[in-house]
Amino acid sequence: MFGISFLSPLFLVGAAAAAVPILLHLFHRRTEVVIDFPAVSLLKRAPVQHHRRRRLRELLLLALRVVALILLALSFARPYFAGAAAPDSAPLTVIAIDTSMSMTAPGQFDRARDAASRAAASAPAAHALAVIGFSDAASVLVQPTTDRSAIAAALDQVAAGNGGTRFRTALARASEIIGAREGRVVVITDLQQAGWEANDEGGVPDGVDLEVISLAPPPGNLAVTSAEKRDRRIVASIQNYSNSEVRVPVRIIAGGKEIARTDVTIGANGAADVDIAAALPASGDAEVRVDDAAGYQADNARTVRLEAVAAIPIAVVVADPTGAVGGLYVERALTVAGAGREFDVDVRDGRDVAAGGEDVSRTAAMFVLGTRTLDRGGRELINRYLAGGGQVLLALGPDVDPGTLPDVLGVQLSFDESPVRTPGATMIANDGRHPIFRPFLNPSGALGDVQVEQHRRLNDHADRTVLARFSGGDAALTEQTVGQGRLVVFTSDLDNQWSRFPLNPAFVPFTVETARYLTRNISLARRSPEGAKAAESNPAATTVEEFTNAIDRTNRAALREAGSTARDLEDRQRWWQIGLLVMLAALAGEALLGRRAT
Amino acid sequence: MARPARYLDPAVIARLGTIDLKARTIVEGFLTGLHRSPYKGFSVEFAEYRQYLPGDDLANLDWKVFARSDKHFIKKYEEETNLTCHLLLDVSRSMGYGSGEITKLQYGSYLTGALAYLMHRQRDSFGLIEFDDRIAALLPASARAGHLRAVLLALERIKMGTRTNVAKPLRDLAAAVRKRGMVVLVSDLLDDPAAVLEGLKHFRIRGTDVIVFHILDPYELQFPFEQAARFRDMETDEEVAAVPGTIRADYIEKIQGLIAFYRHELGVAGIDYCLLETSQPLELGLMAYLMTRRKVL
Repeated sequence: MFGISFLSPLFLVGAAAAAVPILLHLFHRRTEVVIDFPAVSLLKRAPVQHHRRRRLRELLLLALRVVALILLALSFARPYFAGAAAPDSAPLTVIAIDTSMSMTAPGQFDRARDAASRAAASAPAAHALAVIGFSDAASVLVQPTTDRSAIAAALDQVAAGNGGTRFRTALARASEIIGAREGRVVVITDLQQAGWEANDEGGVPDGVDLEVISLAPPPGNLAVTSAEKRDRRIVASIQNYSNSEVRVPVRIIAGGKEIARTDVTIGANGAADVDIAAALPASGDAEVRVDDAAGYQADNARTVRLEAVAAIPIAVVVADPTGAVGGLYVERALTVAGAGREFDVDVRDGRDVAAGGEDVSRTAAMFVLGTRTLDRGGRELINRYLAGGGQVLLALGPDVDPGTLPDVLGVQLSFDESPVRTPGATMIANDGRHPIFRPFLNPSGALGDVQVEQHRRLNDHADRTVLARFSGGDAALTEQTVGQGRLVVFTSDLDNQWSRFPLNPAFVPFTVETARYLTRNISLARRSPEGAKAAESNPAATTVEEFTNAIDRTNRAALREAGSTARDLEDRQRWWQIGLLVMLAALAGEALLGRRAT
Repeated sequence: MARPARYLDPAVIARLGTIDLKARTIVEGFLTGLHRSPYKGFSVEFAEYRQYLPGDDLANLDWKVFARSDKHFIKKYEEETNLTCHLLLDVSRSMGYGSGEITKLQYGSYLTGALAYLMHRQRDSFGLIEFDDRIAALLPASARAGHLRAVLLALERIKMGTRTNVAKPLRDLAAAVRKRGMVVLVSDLLDDPAAVLEGLKHFRIRGTDVIVFHILDPYELQFPFEQAARFRDMETDEEVAAVPGTIRADYIEKIQGLIAFYRHELGVAGIDYCLLETSQPLELGLMAYLMTRRKVL
């Protein structure tokens, strides 16, 4: 039922202290001071305090004191409204429902929904229920609750999407919810083989029962796994995931009309490329579609952006007159993106920046890796670029001259000029959901493999957001606005001098995602819509036994401690702050009233 | 070298042994100080005789000495000794109040003792009446040698009375006093002001001079209490709960009004009024007495 719960209920014992003022009131009420005075007759006509009014005031004072003490105890007990949230100790059944693309086969998700409803209905009466939906990531659809109608409502809303399948991610999330209590996990899935990502982590805690409800995948599936425009033609790959040869029409649809069509024969479990000439419009999208009524529906089509897309210009400013090594790693990393077509990287020594003039000014983003060779014109140009709305990533490496940096940026960054030696310092994202760090969500440890030997200590500033920190606590990556522009600062270097970060696998996604983040207004408009993942189109499935054997059993002690859900709730609601505020108000009132009474 | 204090603190006097010693200390100290002061002419401490010289005022001739010795002597600084003084000391329970080291009653008894001692030195005749709502003790006026000791002993053994009723003893005493003299009233006057005034006027009607020593404690004048309390009347036990901060101004206004009433009305009636705080030196009372006595004589 809806009610109030406490994270630290033991603190409620402190509410017993409220008895102290009550007892004092009861036992010391007669101890008021009596003063013998000769001129009492002169006091009579003075406005003396009436007994009843005084008594009322005393009772009010008592009430305020008791309220203050109770609120203090309540605040320390960390209250939260759990709604129908089950108590942390209640046994829990977690229903994990697969929402990946492979569940888009006709009728497949309805079956999954029915299975989930049955699982909810058959759960032990003493069990609370929670529902998570999983594909590439797992999200909690219903927090642990005893309200079965909430489960039914959530299951009505859930639908399959375009994501891949990641079983371990789902199991890790389920384990996190169960925590240390008695639990049971019901996984409703098509047991797709592609769901076992090698780098994923997660299992089921010891003692937690696991039930797998398997939904048979379709016998075959046709998928458009890639499509691109080449001159006036569309080239697409069609994959046949069935044990029999199929002949299938491939259609090109633009502006809602079919503009080209061809039939293709694909062998069993084979693929075929189709090259279709068509009168393609100059702009807009074209869709490559195959008819596959029995297979997964979300991979039957793929969208191609028709207009020519120019690479996004990015300038990399280095302090390397030889042009041999400066910016090499950043340049190579950026050329990986979009098969080399996403970014047009221009690496310039500082002396050539001013000469670049308009080219530099038109760049979508600028990576500043060195400033020592920047002349006055170059410094002013970057300054104007940033203040006018430019996007700059600054790496505070050894090639950055702290003395002239304010001229370059137009702001004082406030950092220690001498680098800090922190051998083996790793990088930790403050918020893994930030666009730069999204690729590092799974596996979560990838960013932690980055080791930095030296960095500059950048002081925290109110207008600066710290996106990531080194393991010692110093800022690693920050973001701030400068004028109309945005400045992202990496406090070490990106040229393999102070760290071996450029040699780490995380470097390329970090650099590319940073560039995409800085140029996201342009990137989003140019990028083709992402289709379904090719691997997800393969309906090959494991057996329940194989699935169960593949699951790691984890030690409960290693799990996130119990009550994390409750803690999340409490953390969001923060009733303790309100309690303390009201307590302070009560104390202030008590002080005022008490002052008048004395 | 530190200058000695001109006046003795009543709290210091209180620590001296008997009331005899207290009275003597107060008076001797007072007179010693007075000799150095501009008020020297008031002193009637000793009588000095010298032979008559031509040019002396014949009014100053001591005819009694002439009658006994047939010689002419001029009396110098000698005052009349036929002054009869009645010392009225209020011993009601309200006089037992004291915020400091001494109570109003102690202060009043020291003052009365000192006055008695002074009168004795001046060969005046004096008596003592202790009263609350009635006359509690009475020593008739006398100038005999042992009378001072009797008065001081009575002051030493003073007993706290009950309620104040100044008017009644005054009326009784006014009826009893037949000879022109002087009445000294030592009281906190916490009674019906009109009744007090009425009682004192009886003396004036009979030609008796009156000096009123209004004794109050500093706390009665300032009401410096801070904490809310129940104030219990020392005579009636009536209690009033009050928050001092809220009634202080009103109370002070009332007590000052009472003082102003006495000062004005007594002045109009030809009665000397002297307000004394128990923290003030007793010599101020003696000074007021001498001023009044000078007028009488």
